[in-house]
Amino acid sequence: MIIGLQIVAILFSFCMIYFAVLSYKRKELNKAEMCSWLTIWALAIVVIIFPELLRSFATTFLVTRVFDLMVIGGFVLVISMVASVYLRTKRNEKKLEEFVRKEALKKK
Amino acid sequence: MRISIVIPLHNEEKYITPLLKDLRKLKNQIIIVDDGSTDKSILAVNKMKSKNTIVLRHEVNLGKGAAMKSGADYAFENGVDAVVFMDSDNQHKTSDLSSFFAALEDKKDDVIFGSRNLNFGVPLVRYLGNKFASVVMKMMFNIYVSDPLCGFRAFTKNGYKKTRWDSSGYGVEIETIARVGKNKIKFTEVPVETIYHDKVKGVTLFDAFGILGEVVKWKLTI
Repeated sequence: MIIGLQIVAILFSFCMIYFAVLSYKRKELNKAEMCSWLTIWALAIVVIIFPELLRSFATTFLVTRVFDLMVIGGFVLVISMVASVYLRTKRNEKKLEEFVRKEALKKK
Repeated sequence: MRISIVIPLHNEEKYITPLLKDLRKLKNQIIIVDDGSTDKSILAVNKMKSKNTIVLRHEVNLGKGAAMKSGADYAFENGVDAVVFMDSDNQHKTSDLSSFFAALEDKKDDVIFGSRNLNFGVPLVRYLGNKFASVVMKMMFNIYVSDPLCGFRAFTKNGYKKTRWDSSGYGVEIETIARVGKNKIKFTEVPVETIYHDKVKGVTLFDAFGILGEVVKWKLTI
């Protein structure tokens, strides 16, 4: 992997650690959630520094380069997170709409 | 036939007063659904409302579709036979209501769509958007409505039951057409006049792209 790209990825990971701690301090995340995020980003930093750790995975999935495996993994992760957030937002929107409409009819 | 007029309202303090002034001449029940307005719209309504005006209030802004649904639900739960939807920005002329009433009294159709003369006074972007939407709806749901984005429309109780929409925003207009096409509900169009007061309000290009995506969803889900 190109060293510059590794530096950018590490800086990004540290930023995300900072946001996780900040969210915890603002009481938007609880202790368990913050620890989970810290673990995820710490693991990401380890993998970024030592990409060869993923070599066996890359071989198993018939991916030639470790970098490609990380890109594919990243895509899968992002798409699944977007889908999950979309569904949750939709569910909350529906609940809010039902509540507000019910209140409007009840108050009449 | 008991017909109510439903007006979804959101931040239209400037235009709701003349509209209500015009509507005072009618004996029909008028249901105004204030969809979380943050300006003085509700004060204007309270000042101008007549005895036959009902005001429902959404504490937060949910969107046009949700406000229309609240108004129609209230009307039909209270024994009304049909509803006519009008926009709150005084775009629609109350004189055109008689065409809707006549079409509803005919009892031939369950849904009546207002159709603006798109060759006169309509901003070019909206004209093209409308025509594009008509063609898309014809291709996807085999229904041709000449002015699919016009908010002036009427539903009988039966028509509403079969087309009750999920969209809470501006997608409501297109979704109802999709449901009319899919459920093969009888519909007609009546010509209406429209005055464009405000070119920055209403459906934006971003809304239009969002609605286009929803069309595919309705094709798969309705």
